[in-house]
Amino acid sequence: MSTASTRVRTDDVITRGDPQPARPRPVRRRTLKTWVRRGGLSRIVFALPVLIIFGVFSWWPIVRSITMSFQKTNLVAPARWVGWSNFEYVLTDPDLPTAIRNTLYFALLALVIGFPIPLVAAVLINSVRRRKGLYSALAYLPVVVPPVVAVLLWKFFYDGSTDGVFNTFLGWLGLGPYEWLSNRVLVMPALVVEATWAAAGGTVIIYLAALISVPGELYDAAEVDGAGIWQKIWHVTMPQLRGVLFITLILQIIATVQVFLEPYLFTGGGPANATLTVLLMIYNYAFARSLGGDYGAATALSVMLAAFLAILSLVYFKLTSAWSKS
Amino acid sequence: MTSQQISRGSLVQPVRRPRRSQLDGARDYVSAQDWRRPGVNTTMKALHLILLVLLVIVGIGPMLLLAKFAITPTQDIIRTPLAVFPHGIAWGNITEAWNHVQINRYFLNTIWIAAGSWFVQLLVATTGGYLLSVLRPAWGKIVNGLVIATLFVPSVVLLVPLYLTILKPPLLGTSLINNFFAVWLPSGASAFNVVLVKRFFDGLPREVFEAAQMDGAGPFRLFWSIVLPMSKPILGVVSVFASIASWKDFLWPMLVLKDPSKQPLSVRLPAIASHTDLGVFLASLAISTLIPVAFFLVFQRLFLSGAGLGGAVKG
Amino acid sequence: MHRMIARLARSPRSSRITLALTLAGALAVSGTLVACSSDKPSVDANAPVTLDVVGLLPGSEAAAQQELAQEVSDFQTEFPNITVKTHDYEWKATTFAADLAGGTLPTVFEIPFTDAKTLIANQQIADMQSFLGQLSYAGDFNKNLLAYGQAAGGDVYAIPAKSIYAVGLHYNRDLFTQAGLDPNKPPTTWDEIRTDAKAIADKTGQAGFAQMANSNTGGWQLTVDTFARGGRVESADGQTATVNNEQTKAALQFLKDLRWTDNSMGANFSYDWGSINQAFAAGKIGMYTSGQDVYTSLVQTNNINPQMYGLTMIPLSGGDSGVLGGGTMAAVSSKATDNQKAAAIKWIDFHYLRRYTNQAAAVQNAQTQVASKQPVGTPELPIFSQQQYQQYQDWIKPYVNVPLDQMTTFTSNIFNAQLVNEPPVATQDVYAALDPVVQAVLTDRNANIDQLLNEANTKAQRAIDAAG
Repeated sequence: MSTASTRVRTDDVITRGDPQPARPRPVRRRTLKTWVRRGGLSRIVFALPVLIIFGVFSWWPIVRSITMSFQKTNLVAPARWVGWSNFEYVLTDPDLPTAIRNTLYFALLALVIGFPIPLVAAVLINSVRRRKGLYSALAYLPVVVPPVVAVLLWKFFYDGSTDGVFNTFLGWLGLGPYEWLSNRVLVMPALVVEATWAAAGGTVIIYLAALISVPGELYDAAEVDGAGIWQKIWHVTMPQLRGVLFITLILQIIATVQVFLEPYLFTGGGPANATLTVLLMIYNYAFARSLGGDYGAATALSVMLAAFLAILSLVYFKLTSAWSKS
Repeated sequence: MTSQQISRGSLVQPVRRPRRSQLDGARDYVSAQDWRRPGVNTTMKALHLILLVLLVIVGIGPMLLLAKFAITPTQDIIRTPLAVFPHGIAWGNITEAWNHVQINRYFLNTIWIAAGSWFVQLLVATTGGYLLSVLRPAWGKIVNGLVIATLFVPSVVLLVPLYLTILKPPLLGTSLINNFFAVWLPSGASAFNVVLVKRFFDGLPREVFEAAQMDGAGPFRLFWSIVLPMSKPILGVVSVFASIASWKDFLWPMLVLKDPSKQPLSVRLPAIASHTDLGVFLASLAISTLIPVAFFLVFQRLFLSGAGLGGAVKG
Repeated sequence: MHRMIARLARSPRSSRITLALTLAGALAVSGTLVACSSDKPSVDANAPVTLDVVGLLPGSEAAAQQELAQEVSDFQTEFPNITVKTHDYEWKATTFAADLAGGTLPTVFEIPFTDAKTLIANQQIADMQSFLGQLSYAGDFNKNLLAYGQAAGGDVYAIPAKSIYAVGLHYNRDLFTQAGLDPNKPPTTWDEIRTDAKAIADKTGQAGFAQMANSNTGGWQLTVDTFARGGRVESADGQTATVNNEQTKAALQFLKDLRWTDNSMGANFSYDWGSINQAFAAGKIGMYTSGQDVYTSLVQTNNINPQMYGLTMIPLSGGDSGVLGGGTMAAVSSKATDNQKAAAIKWIDFHYLRRYTNQAAAVQNAQTQVASKQPVGTPELPIFSQQQYQQYQDWIKPYVNVPLDQMTTFTSNIFNAQLVNEPPVATQDVYAALDPVVQAVLTDRNANIDQLLNEANTKAQRAIDAAG
């Protein structure tokens, strides 16, 4: 394997003239100088940013979230160990099933609406002869809008009165008015449509990059076999996109399961909990109680969500590595 | 799970990918012969036209509407949102948004937060990548493993403990709330960046390092004068990711930047939504949109290739 | 300046208290005040102090900001060693905890009446007893109000400061006129509200009646509606949730009728305190219920046209019915130094209280406000005695610039009504449990009120049990 050989060579280079790879072991005083000369000090210096930043802002909080899920604390009195009671509290919360259902529903809708649209758009743009850049730029433009601005703008568009922006448009067609954000059936699709608008452009560009790297010979070969355009798309383009499609799919699921911005800013979880998501629940436990957060319940729920997502990521890495072997 | 698996499975080496190919493909499913057939030609052109119209409506439409509302009197926005200026144009909305809502100030905060996050992320990713790829201490494997392990921990699990860490950071003895470092520092803990940069450094030709060391270059000179200059493409990718991520962040800055004078646009705008005149508020949204869109139009190629590369490296 | 946070509250362990504002006496409690004063603070009255205080709502009008700046500068002239820094502030049930935990509140901040006891128990606010004692009027507070901010031993921690309110019915006089209704004869029963709302919706196309539903305000207003019909959402000792009572059901049925039978509630069912004010000031709402002093905020942040504003009593029906009341207290961070506390009490005196007890201060304050076109004279409930409040109103009479004659049906009746305090235990959590019920009734034609309230009662009880 090429990486392995590179690795050996690197070690030779860096620790040239030294048969043993240098180790940061200033065991005795007189070897300290040697250690420094061998590059021990510079290793420590280069390690510091990673160790400090990851240590303080990643590794330690991860450990802490697990311990905190078994504790009760209000930040004033010292934390108490409470066993599984935080988990019990969360699992018996009458809102939890609703939140899980809503989160999965959001993820599913995001797939149904958000998955095919960028694919179709990218495949079509791929065959554009002139001004391909214009198409890509137009598709990408919504991604540039800051997400919070996008949500606030769409919230205004979704105004439920007859004078709302979308309702005025629909009124011209003789439809509506619809109370987009106050209707329990419409509200989730409304959120997903905005989220798709805001994100699809990025996916289009990713697909376009993948489409361009489809080897031309494959098309040539297909044409020799007499394949038409549709057959070429179906039998050449799509199989070639399989990998990137699967990956964006998994990444999208992982991202949508953690959705927060849209329900928080559009509806605050309403109406009647119709857009209450798991992340919103975590936020509410920790930060939305007027007299002190329930950090134990919040971490317990986030640990459970994280376990679920970690399984998803594992599946993702297993499958992608299996894929690239085949 | 090892780094090799990740790299093989998910990380394409960005250096091999020529940039121009992002937009101008060589060959696709419609061949030159296909184009010559009138049926195909008409159908494809019609499809492309429809697509273009849809893209214009979806891509520019909302922004044009926003631009219109930004200069429409509030009462007209409320009663007849789509009428074309029945009672004249309210330029006052814009000046009010700029002077009174002070969009400029929050925009500067946004930039400042993004710049700091960018710097911290680049610092951690390059030094970390250099340590793990080039210096390779024996304990590097442990560090590498720990860094990669965090890829499997979704950020949500960090929310509460990270918040408490910011409240009482180790050694400092003072809360980092309302301090830009509360956003800058945690952003550096991005395993994705470190892995990305490490993979890139792995692919750099070792002969160059060797030659430099023959000339007497120490680890710092090697890093600063050889490795970094050779790594501009990946630094560009990390920079694009860093700035986009920082631009989009909402929940975290909302939690740790409570002082309005420190807040970025993403936190400030929702806070003032129900206290601000609707026309002025929409003008504020318009200004907040205009600036990044202008950036995008100027640096279009960088954005698009960055996004494409993002897909390539993620995929 | 009179920002209203006022609207929400939680849990003093004391049972529900009638504010008893009709007890004009407000018998002096100065005896107790002096008696239980605690250890002597060491204060250097001339040492330079920087004091962070609560300012305006985020996004307030420029004139309001100027007025505040003027007030700060006057204060600093009077006390040259104190530097005051104001911070935009909006008390929200959903963000206060994070501010508190994050230590980002100003040194002097504002809390709803019913939060004080818990904050005292958690040692998150400072004991102000010995500082308060320096004020000449320390003994004159309405003792029922003062009790909210007293620790078990009697020391005063939080000080009643402003926005002492009862909930009223706010209405748009213009929409009343357009709908052919008499704006000087606002509705006095729930049935009249319903018919007027329908008339407004039919004739003007705007929402005849609107209801808050988000960020716990749905639960807050449903509690208002329940009290007005004689019901309660918690037992008197606060240990049992009783949200599935007949009066709450009637209140929800009223909303359901307006929403689904009459279609007179417009199209937005996710208002909270700020956004319903905004919509009202923009002329999209005929009537809504909120704290009586909301007019101040309507001017300061929503630029309302005074001519359109009307305020009247919320209809009361049934035995034991009453108007929900509350208010805002000033509290000082427990981290404050003695010098800061000494400065804080001066600011609390200057900014919130002395205008009610000192003619010169009242006049000066009113003049400053008028000069920057800020509302003067928005009706409040008395912090001290009703007599004192009457006197204060006489002092500022020449400066009153709010349309008091459009509020007379409220101001002439409120003192005859029973004022009922918010539910004592886990108040915000009980409200949070009720939010989805209100939202469901407003957004689901087939909402089953009984079932929703039973579910909400379970959640509320769970919250009460968790609060211990």
